[in-house]
Amino acid sequence: MPLLEVENIRKSFGGTQVLTDIGFSLNKGEVLAIIGSSGSGKTTLLRCLNFLETPDEGRITVNGELLFDGRTRSKKDDLKLREKRLHFGLVFQSFNLFPQYTVFENITLAPKLLAKEEIKANGSYLGADNYKDAVDAIDKKASELLEKVGLVSKADEYPCNLSGGQQQRVAIARALALSPDVLCFDEPTSALDPELTGEVLNVIKSLKSSDSTMIVVTHEIGFANEVADRIIFMDNGLIEEEGPPEQVIGNPQSPRTKEFLSRFNQFGD
Amino acid sequence: MSFLNVTLQLLNGFVQNAIVFGVTLLFAIPLGLLIAKGSMSKIAPIKAITRTFVWIIRGTPLMLQIFVVFYVPPLMARMFGVPFFGFDRAFKAMLAACIAFVINYAAYFSEIYRSGIESIPRGQYEAGAVLGMTKSQIFFKVVLMQVIKRILPPMSNEIITLVKDTSLARVISIPEILKIAENYSLEGLIWPLFYTGAFFLLFSGGLTLLFNFIEKKLSYYKI
Repeated sequence: MPLLEVENIRKSFGGTQVLTDIGFSLNKGEVLAIIGSSGSGKTTLLRCLNFLETPDEGRITVNGELLFDGRTRSKKDDLKLREKRLHFGLVFQSFNLFPQYTVFENITLAPKLLAKEEIKANGSYLGADNYKDAVDAIDKKASELLEKVGLVSKADEYPCNLSGGQQQRVAIARALALSPDVLCFDEPTSALDPELTGEVLNVIKSLKSSDSTMIVVTHEIGFANEVADRIIFMDNGLIEEEGPPEQVIGNPQSPRTKEFLSRFNQFGD
Repeated sequence: MSFLNVTLQLLNGFVQNAIVFGVTLLFAIPLGLLIAKGSMSKIAPIKAITRTFVWIIRGTPLMLQIFVVFYVPPLMARMFGVPFFGFDRAFKAMLAACIAFVINYAAYFSEIYRSGIESIPRGQYEAGAVLGMTKSQIFFKVVLMQVIKRILPPMSNEIITLVKDTSLARVISIPEILKIAENYSLEGLIWPLFYTGAFFLLFSGGLTLLFNFIEKKLSYYKI
């Protein structure tokens, strides 16, 4: 059974169809890269998965649990919505770190808020049955994540004192702190200059080996080619082509894909 | 009339100003948040009513509003033949002044809050949401501190204006500092009138130092 199954997602904004019948599935530990020109619906798709947008139609299933079904639209319940969101993590193009908190606090804020409620409701969080132990576990995990993204020395800095690349690495650690089933990246390097792009891509690459399931929307074709197990090329709200990188990038079939990739190759990748 | 004597009398008057100032801050700060919520409401009638209210309050003189709050309720009471409750005149005047000031300043504060809240990028809300925070957690843990930092300069400005506006309370015979100084001048003693400036300067100077201190406290991060 695939970890994530997306079926027939449709979404339109005020009469403009942004997503038309999107469907794909993803196995545990797989990395999916979504490429395509701006306005093709890649970001909207990620936002639908994270419930920042509500699709008009379609189904989203994670681990066999039906999270969204366009036919049985449930009322927006803050707590239910949150439970669904926690299956997904999202790293934004513009980082969106919380400026008033240190790097460490950025990573631990949401888990600590969650721990308080989980312990009250279910009696445990991260294997701890009281808040104090949960906080210890959360702090320990945050330190490990900082090590993973190579920013242990920046734990007590505020985001405004970090470079863009460092901020994005913190954002990745922050998303990982909640152990999402699927971690999504929305053009994670588009706001960075080329020098800083590499450090973020390296972190994402290192996550692949630690068995995270990821969806990466990106303009970095070379990176997608190297890291992704599968690539989706989107155009005009449709999946134009899908397959392993060697097929989609190495030997594209659709004329739209060919045209898109040729523009990248012009500059040499 | 000795200097000390005048100082004590003026200080007595300034206590009235300080009462209006304190009560106004105490109630207008939370009431302004409520009005701000109303003027950002998704429910069209609530938004329209709140914005009309803010327009009326900001569009008419505070002095007129003080008159209205002071004179209209007793007139209404007389019209309908209801006995108007019997506090003494000084208390009634202070109550009316405070109500007028609270409403007036809450309207101004609400617009400052609104601009502050609306200036927080949507990404902050979305980041909180995808991290599984509830709406109230996002507001109180993520947005509020950033709003406070942003609105601190315009709020300091408004609060310093309030210090000086309190002397408007004299129009309904509250014995505030300028009223007392004016009484001296009617008796031929003019310098106490100018001396009142020192009280206002001292008070607003203290506030300025306080706001600078808070601003510095909050400067550890940038938005």
